[in-house]
Amino acid sequence: MAQAGKGRLNYRCPSCFMRDLDIDMFYDKERGEYYCLRCQYVGTEEDVLQKNEMARFRYRAMRKRFTDFEDFSD
Amino acid sequence: MEQFIVNIIHRPEMVPEYAEKVTGQGKAEDIGRKALLTESLDIFKTQQDCAHRHGLKTTIQMTYASLFNDEAVALAKEHHERYGDEIALSLLGLPCEEFRKKYNTKDFCIWMFSMEDKKAIVRDVFGKFHDRFGFYPESTGSYYLDAELINFIKAEYPQVKCAVATCWEEGPKAYHTCNNSWYTLMDGGPWAPWIPSKQNTHAPAANAEEDSGIVAIPHLSRDLLACYDGNGSNFGTHPQNVLRGMIYDTSTWEFPYLYNLIDQYRALAKYNDGYAYNMMFVGPGWMNKMGRWEAPYELLLKSYEEGCAYYGELKRQGKLTDMTMSEFADYYRAKKGYTVPECALWRDILYGSKKQLFWYCDPYMRACVNMDQGGALVDLRPYVAKLEWPVGIGTKHVQDASYPFLIQEKYRAGYFTHYAGEGTVRSAKLRYRGEEVDLCLCRTKAHFEREGGERRLTLDPVTVEFDGLSVTLQTVIAFPEGESCIRYERRVLSMSDPDAQVQIDEYMVGCYGTTEYPEDMTSLTLRVDAGEDSVALPYEYKCREAGADGAARVSCDVPPIKTRVSMTCEGRQPRGYVREGYAFSPMFALGYTGTLREKEVFTTWLKLEKAD
Ligand SMILES: [Zn+2]
Repeated sequence: MAQAGKGRLNYRCPSCFMRDLDIDMFYDKERGEYYCLRCQYVGTEEDVLQKNEMARFRYRAMRKRFTDFEDFSD
Repeated sequence: MEQFIVNIIHRPEMVPEYAEKVTGQGKAEDIGRKALLTESLDIFKTQQDCAHRHGLKTTIQMTYASLFNDEAVALAKEHHERYGDEIALSLLGLPCEEFRKKYNTKDFCIWMFSMEDKKAIVRDVFGKFHDRFGFYPESTGSYYLDAELINFIKAEYPQVKCAVATCWEEGPKAYHTCNNSWYTLMDGGPWAPWIPSKQNTHAPAANAEEDSGIVAIPHLSRDLLACYDGNGSNFGTHPQNVLRGMIYDTSTWEFPYLYNLIDQYRALAKYNDGYAYNMMFVGPGWMNKMGRWEAPYELLLKSYEEGCAYYGELKRQGKLTDMTMSEFADYYRAKKGYTVPECALWRDILYGSKKQLFWYCDPYMRACVNMDQGGALVDLRPYVAKLEWPVGIGTKHVQDASYPFLIQEKYRAGYFTHYAGEGTVRSAKLRYRGEEVDLCLCRTKAHFEREGGERRLTLDPVTVEFDGLSVTLQTVIAFPEGESCIRYERRVLSMSDPDAQVQIDEYMVGCYGTTEYPEDMTSLTLRVDAGEDSVALPYEYKCREAGADGAARVSCDVPPIKTRVSMTCEGRQPRGYVREGYAFSPMFALGYTGTLREKEVFTTWLKLEKAD
């Protein structure tokens, strides 16, 4: 089996990202999957993108525009 | 009139950090690759073009490597003439073939070299700059500049007046985020411009004697809540930080968070006599043609373009003034007195919580008050000690440039601990008939005001419910200018039983350090000052406690950071106490208990002093 390389973009491991760790994944051409060197995450590009959406769960105000920073009303 | 200043800084880095690792994957390292040099310069041109098209001037921080490049030098001269950009000199971007050959090292962070090398490199780089431009720069910087280095630069090149000198809360968290491979350990500094002292870069100068002679600016303007808990490099006024944090909508590529961040910084003018500041400093590695992590080049470019467009729009509306670094240094010197603090009442703008923090920085301390924990003090750095802390090869701290804390709720636990022991925090507990409630559990909001030299937070009242008694209490936290102390007033506004009385316990649990790990506490001494009843307790991990009714003062000496922290008190039936920790709780505690009745106030002062 040949060595792994980088994929089209330098995808980070979504599982590690969720614990504040930025780790580039490597790409296994033969299996068509990205994998993490540090944790046990393995996934296709589609799965990575989907998990990255999931990682945004904590940014609940990501789409909100604030105008008054001392206004705490809903 | 309110004034919001922005510094936009670009550096023609010929071998951008990341680029060699990212674009060069699968190739043996070669930092002289022609493609790398061309791409790097192209990125610089793109960045300059973005700023200029939006009517913004920049500070061009030439790197060592770029001084060997005729095109980079010519561009800097041209942009200085045409746009009024300042030609400055960065101590970032050292790596290039010339540098490697001369210094025989792959080190690239100026503060980590030996003092001897720092001097040689500074002379070399400044000399080379002079050869190319015919003058010496007025501005310089790196991610961090240690005090010895700043003092050396100022002595050799007195015209230097401004420098990028720290990266806010870039420390163990950034290290962890990079899989423990990115050694920028520099927590505990100011988040906004300051005048560094000659003794310690992080600690602002208290007077002309301590003045290092430069105005320092932070590397990026960072989210004062998100960066305190998470990875600093995701939450700053660096559009590509926001992409690194994945804080954008993948379907629309919109990122309102960046504008919220800029706007919240603008809003800080309210707490700082009408002045607010931002800086944007994006290294070329972040606009890599190959994309950076999940973000393709098009998104990287869009984020930078739109970031510049937003600043440009604010300028057109008269809401922003763009300055070069040296212009800013002059402005800041004219504006700010040594003891004038920097204040920031800051709210969550990302996670959808209503958390609110207050950050305070002056020559004596940096402090963080957490309104989500009833106004508890959750971070405290005793700048008053002006700790001499040399960094770099040949010193005790090769990499660790952080200013030590006495309280740090994330690294050394705050209110919550697992099963046993205590965490660092300064709060208060109320007790009534065997029940106890810590104000850390009373979420509230603060209102800022300034009266004379005093900056004050008045917190919305909170209600503490005991079995059979309900107490409404208000906290006022004051920072009297130049006094190196924080005053906490707890006022009982009402009680369901007007004749009841509650016990109050005003406490501080502290330790010292720069990381998550415990330090040796055996040099510390706890004291209760109470005339004949005075006690001194050398720290031996024996879980002892001492106290005295009517104590004049309780304190702890922390020799490793040359600091004495003490508390004094005014109120009914005050009893001062100190508490030693034990191996599983390597902390110390100081405090006062007393009683409170309806309409009464219990006041304590937390004071920081230098102790040699
Ligand atoms: Zn992983």
